[in-house]
Amino acid sequence: MVARKRWVGLLLALVGAIGPAPGVRASDAPSAEEIMQRFHEAMFYAGRDMKAKVSMRLVNRQGQERGRTMTMLRANASDGRNQKYYIYFHQPADVRGTAFLVWKYPDKDDDRWLHIPAIHLTTRVAAKDRQSSFVGSDFTYEDISGRDVGLDRYELLREESLGDKACYVVESTPKETSVQARKVSWIDKTTFLPLKEESYDPRGRVLKVFTAEEIRPVKGRPTIVRRTMRDVQSDHYTEVVFESVDYDVGLEDGLFAERYLEKPPGKWIH
Amino acid sequence: MRNNMNNGLAGFSLVEWSIRRPKRVVALAVVLTAAFGTQFPKLKTDTNPKNMLPATSDVRMWNDEVDQTFALYEDTIVVGVAREDGVLNPDTLAKIARITDEAGTIPGVAAKDVTSLKNVDNVTAAEGMLKVSPLMAEVPQSQEEVEALKRTIFANPLLIGRLISRDGNTTAVYVPLERGADGKKIADDLRRTVGKLKGPEAYYIAGDPVARDTFGAEMFKLMGLFSPLAGMIMLAAIYLMFRSLSLAFLVMGVAMIAIVWSVGLLIGLGFPIHIMSSMSPVFLMAIATDSIHIFNEFYFRYRERKNKAQAIRETMSAVGRPVRYTALATAAGFAVLLFMHIIPVRVFGGLVAFGTVALRLLSFSLVPAILTFVSEEKMERASRTEDVGADRAARWLRSLGDLGARHPAATVLAGLAALALAVAGATRTVVNNNMVNWFKAGSEVRTADRVMNEALGGTSLAYIVASSHEEDSIKTPEALRYIEGLQRDLEKLPLVGKTTSVVDYVKRINRVLHGDDPRYDTVPDSREEIAQYLFLFGMSAKPADLDNVVDYRFQKANIWIQLKTWDARAMRGVIAAQDAYARASPFPLELKPAGTAYFNLVWNDEVLWDMVKGFGLALVVVFVILVFNFRSFKWAVVGYVPLLFTILLIYGVLGFAGKDFDMPISVLSCLSLGMAVDFAIHFISRLKQRLAEIGHESGRAPDTEVLLEALRWTAARPGKGIMRNAVLFASAFSVMLFAPLTPYVTVGGFIAGMMTLSALMTILYLPALIVLFKGSLFGRAS
Repeated sequence: MVARKRWVGLLLALVGAIGPAPGVRASDAPSAEEIMQRFHEAMFYAGRDMKAKVSMRLVNRQGQERGRTMTMLRANASDGRNQKYYIYFHQPADVRGTAFLVWKYPDKDDDRWLHIPAIHLTTRVAAKDRQSSFVGSDFTYEDISGRDVGLDRYELLREESLGDKACYVVESTPKETSVQARKVSWIDKTTFLPLKEESYDPRGRVLKVFTAEEIRPVKGRPTIVRRTMRDVQSDHYTEVVFESVDYDVGLEDGLFAERYLEKPPGKWIH
Repeated sequence: MRNNMNNGLAGFSLVEWSIRRPKRVVALAVVLTAAFGTQFPKLKTDTNPKNMLPATSDVRMWNDEVDQTFALYEDTIVVGVAREDGVLNPDTLAKIARITDEAGTIPGVAAKDVTSLKNVDNVTAAEGMLKVSPLMAEVPQSQEEVEALKRTIFANPLLIGRLISRDGNTTAVYVPLERGADGKKIADDLRRTVGKLKGPEAYYIAGDPVARDTFGAEMFKLMGLFSPLAGMIMLAAIYLMFRSLSLAFLVMGVAMIAIVWSVGLLIGLGFPIHIMSSMSPVFLMAIATDSIHIFNEFYFRYRERKNKAQAIRETMSAVGRPVRYTALATAAGFAVLLFMHIIPVRVFGGLVAFGTVALRLLSFSLVPAILTFVSEEKMERASRTEDVGADRAARWLRSLGDLGARHPAATVLAGLAALALAVAGATRTVVNNNMVNWFKAGSEVRTADRVMNEALGGTSLAYIVASSHEEDSIKTPEALRYIEGLQRDLEKLPLVGKTTSVVDYVKRINRVLHGDDPRYDTVPDSREEIAQYLFLFGMSAKPADLDNVVDYRFQKANIWIQLKTWDARAMRGVIAAQDAYARASPFPLELKPAGTAYFNLVWNDEVLWDMVKGFGLALVVVFVILVFNFRSFKWAVVGYVPLLFTILLIYGVLGFAGKDFDMPISVLSCLSLGMAVDFAIHFISRLKQRLAEIGHESGRAPDTEVLLEALRWTAARPGKGIMRNAVLFASAFSVMLFAPLTPYVTVGGFIAGMMTLSALMTILYLPALIVLFKGSLFGRAS
């Protein structure tokens, strides 16, 4: 059932991407589900693959910083919604060489591997709750690789402008209770990228705020190259900057294998 | 005695003025009281004993800094769950999960950091799979699952003593509070939460915020209950003494007026009512009973004169001077606290000093004015018994004074012996404070604390922060080994139940990554290894796990120390061990204590020593006032004896009883000062007056017989006033013996003892001393 729904959603999204279906008036807003599907496509599935040099700045309440620099490789499976991620850490210097591999499946737990260079150990790592922190940042795994569309109920609250951009304002409410009770997203009507998101805790207080500071077209695909996630309650934030990003660079599927964790492919990671 | 002496300004007599215009005086008192009363709606309370130290004090600023650096919570409540046959079973674990979830929904609880067996991060490796995840994402159902969980839990030393007792019968849910949350309210909510759960488990709500906020709240409630209760008892006692209800109402009315004035003033000035100032009504009521000396004398005089106005004048003339000086001594004793460091101590001192002055002002205006309204017939009836010869109490007091006067040497020797014993006891006094012990032994708060401390590593939390000047220096093997060494040293202290630091996480990960091989339960040798373990942990566990033990730049490490008692001395031991370690093995990491237990120690030292210093200063000031009052150094020394004696005896008893010198005792000391010296002033002043009245000229020693007779008279007549005052006082405070908080029981018991003691000291010892040193005392006077 779930899988079918997802396919329907995907089809709808594809249809949406092509253009308004015949007979539907252009002024008609798409449904909240369609908006979220298209948001997912634009945000997490852009291109067949992606390569990015990412720098991450974690800033705590006192303004102290921790920096991370990594190369992030992503490939979408040719069929279905599976994705593979390869993350290699360049900085901090004392963890250089630490590498992380994730095989993401939409309907079951991820497979993950980690390489610890100091002891030459590559080990499988148990999957975690996707709402847990991504490498200690304010972003969760879901924020990085997307949250399954079927897990939430959506409602189009209103349409409004954020700055000079027209947005759909969509509220997502999880079907099962979770740390984030609900989330409100401002989604750009033209790019379908989120410009701002506010998530709330079960007591109805703002938990985190996401903002997209800079969006640039990369190979014709609008891409968020600078984004911030702020944990309002602990006054901690993480800024992610894509120093370089490219799509459809031709990452082979074989690259995303355990053995490449210890010997990172020099072609892609330098 | 010159009449205008009583009333300050030469030629103007407040008493005379008041007797002539009684209605105006009453009206004025009513108007003033109403004016001060208008301030009451603005009343603010501050029940948090912590606020005795201002938010800007060094210790609070430092603790705030530490809380910020390590993302810590200032306050955490510990919910204990205990079951005799073990808590690791599906039923109890389900309850723990439920408590964890529900605690997060209570307003004021920092939901994301509520920690229990359900959600604590656990690092394990099984079948080639590294796992950093909440211990119990799902509550185990089958016996096999439970057994597996048990093995996991007991294989992780980080959990033992913190989340599970060694025997597996007790566990804890840690509920951190957001800044400014009311610990008592949240504790009550948690009690309701666990109250809904049925079954064989016992639940305990413990932790500093529970004790502190419960105490603050209870204290205010008790003050609200005991102030009127003490007032009513005094009222009844006065009625029994004087058989006049109007008189009883007069004394208490005057006390009420003084309370309204001083508390009104305090509120008007914008101060919140703090736990210390909340005690001032009872203090002022007690001090108000000093006017008993006026009534005592008035009734004697009225019986002799049968003329009301004349009796009032003569009374005020006779007791005016001692009453004024006792007021001065009391007010000065409390006013000295104004020069102390701790703001609530200053407020308390100022409040009581002002109230004392107000009381005395009323004694010379409102009291005589109202006495003019009392019907002669009633007075006649009441004064019938007031005859020194006929009165049983007076006769007894007379013979008591006589005993001291006739056997001065023996009395003084006996006193010295008692004193020596008292000093021996007093030296055993330990300055200590333990807020949990302010609750009675069987109380919920104390039981919870005891049970949790026995089962787990301890509910009292302290930190030692190790800091370096360089970034990333905590990640070195040397730094970690240094910290580890300190932990092992601290754990040797009997009151330290458990310590936790970043070292424990590193060792844990090292072991887990090496196939759970115990040989790897050590600090790794390379810096990269440590850095990568911490990186791995930081990217897998809850951010708080790592943040709580190292700062953002890996420049500081935070060592958690669980203490088994809230006693200030436990923390003192930790600091001593820390200093000894730093001396024995020098290393470029600076060690500094922090946390709630550290705060309590500083609070204990600062607030308590402030009170002790204030008390010491008050002793000096009171002595100076005595010198001025008696215009003689020697008389001042004699007058000082009952006060010193009483205080030393009290401390002696405290020392032998093994009772700590804590906050309530220090407040009590100040009160003793105000009261015990009063009796001596009354006694000596009246003795001197008596000698003058019966024709003895000052400047030479009186004949022994004349002196003895005067002493007997003083012991019997003003002595009765002293005794009445003491009994009143003691009875009012004895209600506190039934209070549910131990400080009140202590205060109640000791005030009752102290008043009786200082009255007896005055009546027995002053005659003995005066007879013994008669030559010196009278010889060179004037």
